[in-house]
Amino acid sequence: MSTPMLEIRDLHVAIEEKEILKGVNLTVPAGEVHAIMGRNGSGKSTLSYAIAGRAGYDITSGDVLLDGKSILEMAPDERAAEGLFLAFQYPIEIPGVATMTFLKAAMNAQRKSRGEEEMTTPEFMKAVRVASDDLSINKDMLKRALNVGFSGGEKKRAEVLQMALLEPKMCVMDETDSGLDIDALQVVSEGVNRLRGPKRSMLIITHYQRLLNHIVPDRVHVFSDGQVVESGGKDLALELEAKGYANFDSAKGAA
Amino acid sequence: MNQQQAPTLTVAEKTLQAQLIAAGTSEAANQFGKYGLPTRRVEAYHYTDLKNLVRDVPAIVSNGEVAHPTPKFSLTDAFEVPMINGDVPSVGDTPDGIIVAHMDGSGLSERDDVLVRLNRALSTKSVMVRLEGNVQPVVHFKRHINGEAAHVVSSLMLDVAAGTEVTVLETFEGSDEAHMANYSTRINLGAGAKFTHITIDQSSKKATHFHTMEYAIGADVELRNLVVNSGASLSRTQMFGRFEGEGTHANLSGLNLVDDGQHCDITMDMTHTVENTSAQELFKSVVRNRAKAIFQGRIVVESQAQKTDAKMMAQGLMLTEGAQILTKPELEIFADDVQCGHGCTCGELDADTLFYLMSRGIPKAEASSMLIRAFVQELLDPITDEELNSKLSTIVSDWLELGEANAS
Repeated sequence: MSTPMLEIRDLHVAIEEKEILKGVNLTVPAGEVHAIMGRNGSGKSTLSYAIAGRAGYDITSGDVLLDGKSILEMAPDERAAEGLFLAFQYPIEIPGVATMTFLKAAMNAQRKSRGEEEMTTPEFMKAVRVASDDLSINKDMLKRALNVGFSGGEKKRAEVLQMALLEPKMCVMDETDSGLDIDALQVVSEGVNRLRGPKRSMLIITHYQRLLNHIVPDRVHVFSDGQVVESGGKDLALELEAKGYANFDSAKGAA
Repeated sequence: MNQQQAPTLTVAEKTLQAQLIAAGTSEAANQFGKYGLPTRRVEAYHYTDLKNLVRDVPAIVSNGEVAHPTPKFSLTDAFEVPMINGDVPSVGDTPDGIIVAHMDGSGLSERDDVLVRLNRALSTKSVMVRLEGNVQPVVHFKRHINGEAAHVVSSLMLDVAAGTEVTVLETFEGSDEAHMANYSTRINLGAGAKFTHITIDQSSKKATHFHTMEYAIGADVELRNLVVNSGASLSRTQMFGRFEGEGTHANLSGLNLVDDGQHCDITMDMTHTVENTSAQELFKSVVRNRAKAIFQGRIVVESQAQKTDAKMMAQGLMLTEGAQILTKPELEIFADDVQCGHGCTCGELDADTLFYLMSRGIPKAEASSMLIRAFVQELLDPITDEELNSKLSTIVSDWLELGEANAS
């Protein structure tokens, strides 16, 4: 079997000594899109932050492997350079940092850490123009400070823009559908679908089945109380929507 | 009340007193002997206890050969007035609208403040500059101390005629010695003047730097200033201002960039004496390692100064353990129809914001620098002169790079 893109092995994570993730096992093969569904407070966002390396998340046991390499000892920027990308549920507004400056800094920092040449300004401008046209992002938005004054939809589109420009091999998308109206959901989903490919995997975290109509996953995992309690094909999302999460809680309890 | 007992003078105070006597200012010497340097019990010096902080006073500068040094900060297209070791320069031909002259004594008015008293007593003469009309080049006063450690007392007086539009830059630099400088700048702003005033201290890290600014502000003036402190081991920049004509607006701002062992104090004291004046005050400090940044801001609104609108803000970033920021706002309002406010925020770089930048592959040091630059940017944005703006940015970048170099 080829190396999975993301492998989470018996991951236990505590925040301020309270255990949130209680042994997560999950494998995303290269080129596949997996979805994690679960109710509020089940630990979905904790999983995404733990993978990305946010401070304050104590990994008490287990491991996370990206393309066969453990990333838990790495700083967040090193994980990004290895090809990990987290699309935030709530992208941070940064006054005083211009969006274009930020994009260029991020792209060049990743290139530098991989021993590649920095982009020239025309190369960079062209890459941004192409990617932003695909996402219907207008130039005014790019002229503003990063995420400052962006609507909910604009922020999510900006996240997908970053994802397109940084070309990660593993994308973790934390509730990318939250705060989006139907049109914006369409644009964002199309943007994500365009990025699907044999060398790129995605883990999509969501409450609702709705997003999965647009971004059709290869597998769906149900998350409850810090664990994956059920995994299945894309129809599992529909079943979950019909039956509700409670059914799956008890299924785990009975097992 | 009991007769207050004269304090025991420190070595530094005795030297200052001797220098006052030698200058033939016996009255000032007597008064200095009575009070010495202020301690923390003097409210205006609460965070900058000069009696404790000033350990040594070098000899009063003697002007011998005065070479023209190359300043760290210079503009390609400025009218430069070198003021080396406090000496009065000869500047040759001056552009239209600039007249340079001299006068006896200090330009500062009398005030109950030790630095003002010392400047007034020890300044034998002042450079006096009249600015009139649309003065094109930036007028750059290069205030510089050459040679061995010296006590330099220097006074500058600017008379800005009605309707004049001009940018004045003052830079403070010197040889790498434990100098003590007591600079003053007195500025009269005529009606309708548009005046931008930038001061940059990049003096030696061994030096003590004192600078007192005094603004007398006429009607319908647009005043903008920016104080940048990134030099000296001990510095105090104080600005006193009086709004004396209606319809005036002032943007007063400052930046302390403070590193290990430095103590930088900006003290502002503005008085609104007439109706319909407004002021926005924004002061920022970035501190790393064991260092101290201080901002004291006082706004006085006299009883007749109705419709005053004055808002003061102090913001600080503490980058490492041991960094200290001390802030004291004071509002004294005697009028009843005014809008005055003050605010203060101090903290570390925001962890969530840092994480967001790092999650995009930007290393921590670079991400921190981006955020610090963003924090400072608000002060630099209004400086419209391109070269001045870009060189101010360079001061910030250099400071950040120095920190990164020392940290690694």
